[in-house]
Amino acid sequence: MKRAKTVALVAGFGFFFLALLLQGILPYQMEENRVTTVTRTVRTPLGELAELKAEASPYAGLTLRGRQVYTREGCWYCHSQYLRPTAGENRRWGPVSEFGEYAHDLPHLVGTRRIGPDLTRVGGKYGDDWHAAHFFDPRMVVPDSVMPRMTWFFDDNPEDGKRLLSEDGQAVTAFVQNLGMNKGRWRDAFSYQIAEGGSSSLESAAAIAHGKAVYERRCLGCHGEKGDGKGAAPETVRFAIALPRDFTAGVYKFRTTPTGSVPLDADIYRTITVGIRGTAMPPWFNLAEEERWDAVHFVKTFSPDFKQYPPDAPIPIGRPPKPTPELIAQGKKVFEEMKCWECHGHEGRGDGPVSEEQVDDFGNKIPPANFTRGVFKSGPRPGDIFRTFMTGLSGTPMPSFGDSFAGPEDGWALTYFVLSLSADGKR
Amino acid sequence: MAGNGNELVNRTIVRSWLVWGFFWAVLAPLLGIILSLKFNFPTFLSSEFSHFGRLRPLHVNGVILGVFSTVFFGLAYYMVPKLTGIRMHREEWSKLPLVLWNGTLLVASVSLLLGYNKGLEVAEFPNPLPVLLAAALLIVAYQVFMTIARRKEEKIFVSLWYIVAALVWTGINLLYGNLIVPYVAPGIGNIALHGLYIHYVVGLWITPAGLAVIYFFLPASARSPLYSHKLSLIGFWSLAFFYPFVGIHHYLYSPIPAWTQTVAIFASMMLIIPVLTVVVNFFGTLKGNWEKFQTDFSVKLMIFGAAMYFIGSVQGSFEALRSLQQPTHFTDFVIAHSHATVFGGYVIFVLAACYYVWPRITGREFNARAARWSTWMIMGGISAMILILIVQGLIQGTALMAGAEFVDSVVTMKPYWFLRTLTGIAMDVGIALVGINLLLSGRKAKEIVS
Repeated sequence: MKRAKTVALVAGFGFFFLALLLQGILPYQMEENRVTTVTRTVRTPLGELAELKAEASPYAGLTLRGRQVYTREGCWYCHSQYLRPTAGENRRWGPVSEFGEYAHDLPHLVGTRRIGPDLTRVGGKYGDDWHAAHFFDPRMVVPDSVMPRMTWFFDDNPEDGKRLLSEDGQAVTAFVQNLGMNKGRWRDAFSYQIAEGGSSSLESAAAIAHGKAVYERRCLGCHGEKGDGKGAAPETVRFAIALPRDFTAGVYKFRTTPTGSVPLDADIYRTITVGIRGTAMPPWFNLAEEERWDAVHFVKTFSPDFKQYPPDAPIPIGRPPKPTPELIAQGKKVFEEMKCWECHGHEGRGDGPVSEEQVDDFGNKIPPANFTRGVFKSGPRPGDIFRTFMTGLSGTPMPSFGDSFAGPEDGWALTYFVLSLSADGKR
Repeated sequence: MAGNGNELVNRTIVRSWLVWGFFWAVLAPLLGIILSLKFNFPTFLSSEFSHFGRLRPLHVNGVILGVFSTVFFGLAYYMVPKLTGIRMHREEWSKLPLVLWNGTLLVASVSLLLGYNKGLEVAEFPNPLPVLLAAALLIVAYQVFMTIARRKEEKIFVSLWYIVAALVWTGINLLYGNLIVPYVAPGIGNIALHGLYIHYVVGLWITPAGLAVIYFFLPASARSPLYSHKLSLIGFWSLAFFYPFVGIHHYLYSPIPAWTQTVAIFASMMLIIPVLTVVVNFFGTLKGNWEKFQTDFSVKLMIFGAAMYFIGSVQGSFEALRSLQQPTHFTDFVIAHSHATVFGGYVIFVLAACYYVWPRITGREFNARAARWSTWMIMGGISAMILILIVQGLIQGTALMAGAEFVDSVVTMKPYWFLRTLTGIAMDVGIALVGINLLLSGRKAKEIVS
């Protein structure tokens, strides 16, 4: 019996607890391993991006409920939640995971398998509309997806024939959109996503045919077979934020060309690469450059305008100046003088006196942008905002102000003022 | 140690455990096929209660706690009296853990389908159900310890060492993983504690319990003594010492402190020692007796399982190296490892032992033709499955490292996933045949002369 007891005590208890102590308990008693802060990218009062250390925020309200749904449905069996400093993961998904980011994870959901992509930094990559469509039927937006349909995330009675997320569905969407947000506006500074592409591929018949194949695998679910923006996703699920672009009209919001002109190839390429933040249009920077360029060539075939009217010369953007408090003050003056507030409100919350009445050229209601959220459809860089002022957003009530500015400085001042409205960090 | 002492064994209780084991051996692998089909046909049998996220834990827990553990308990009730020379202590209690374990598993399975999932891999069952499992296990542990304490045989055979250690470890571990891990140390500490728990399940339950089985039944069915008792002790102590430290290798390159990752990698590599001792011992036991490999289904399956155990374990050790984890972690490479060891090794060990035990407790012989079919389906199925999973893991991992778009890498996997399903079907039919064959033999076949 003595030996049996030895086995039980030494091997059974001894080694078990020794390992637990060394591997599970001791490391987390050390000062350097008790971090609850995260390197967060913030917008300064001058409208610039900066990094600071901030406390990780706990899950609460809808996000907490969403985490419970995420746990219940076993999403974590297929979606990991940590990014390694290897295998190109920081290029594919975002900055490498930090210790403090997990401070409020109990139980943890980091996972060990990636049948689907990692979700550490998925927050803000796709819009809520995309997630709704994707939950209802992943293959509507990602034809090759192997994810199950989550139809029980939707209310039973569709409004105007289009499905709406139930409370559970909204909660899990909120949770997913919150993933990675402890790192703040990291995506605005994510160089792989905002990088401009190289030179265009040749616009040959082969390129267009390849572009069609790319379109069918990546774009068709929203923009539709005919390119009219009537894909299965917006026809099945209620898109609350923005409807997919109708390519047949040849009207593009995000251009470097003047109002009324078709965009340059590079403009469409940029939108494909960086996506349109807050909407269902995700960034496609993970696609090979050739696929993106060929998709551009194909998308242009939906509208005869590209053949009939060559694009006008682009408006030069130039280099943004360094922001100063004076520049911001000047920007505020311009904001008032140009009556930006009529739509966007004096505080930039998108609640100006005429904000309710705005409709776009397609007859859809279009709320003016709320600048305080810091989610910019045309892009997060000063040049992106400036470009919008200079070119306007075709098809929307947002006009071009290029001719109204006294000089480019007015434009930059307004740019930094608008950016400063979403300031969330002190400098 | 084998051959005599049949009268000490409570045949009814052994048979009940094995029958439950056969039930789980049909259910859990069937779930595996359904899950596998979902990779190619995502809407197949998909509903709120049967989509991938709900069924996956049922498959994993069903194999570990259902198939493997249930059969193991039955075999333990067979081995312990024979190894100690006395009947099981408090034999009248034996029915309680049987009912408690299987009843709890049934309730827990339904609760998983209903969405009661704690969110920790292999610790999904909602509380307090795991406490009931631990209680069942501790009752068995108490019976085993007391039987050993009053034993007639002086020497403690290595199988008993493993049984004792496995029961102690897992009694603690079930309580640790289900009552402590989910509620303490938010953040990285929780990841570390859970990483340890996961590997305690495979390393401190399946491994020692499975090795106890093969250490007993391989010499018994080959009718030759164990090759080296000393080697088996080296194996036992190196396993007991190194295995508890490996858990963190599930989370390499994570924000877990790098040195604890390194300790886990080191311990993982050191596990090659017990693996080698075990494999050398098993092959040595058959020395000069290899015709048994052809004639005896238990020996055939156990030696095949030992080969799988070797392949899967060595793969596991190397998989813990950072360089190999870069491409392979998160891919099917890891799934190959878990199937090679848990199914290819341990489930095959315990099923092989059933071929030995069942005729001896029922007095009836099973159908050799069906056994041959099932053996080949199991061996062919698992071998092909592991090859496919390793290859696809390497393909997807290296493709992603080379910058492939994620969905593109998923598309590349689809034909392999389909082949994997076919291999799974072969395996599962094979396992189901083991149970069916033995159950039918109990009623129909001719009496064997013992």
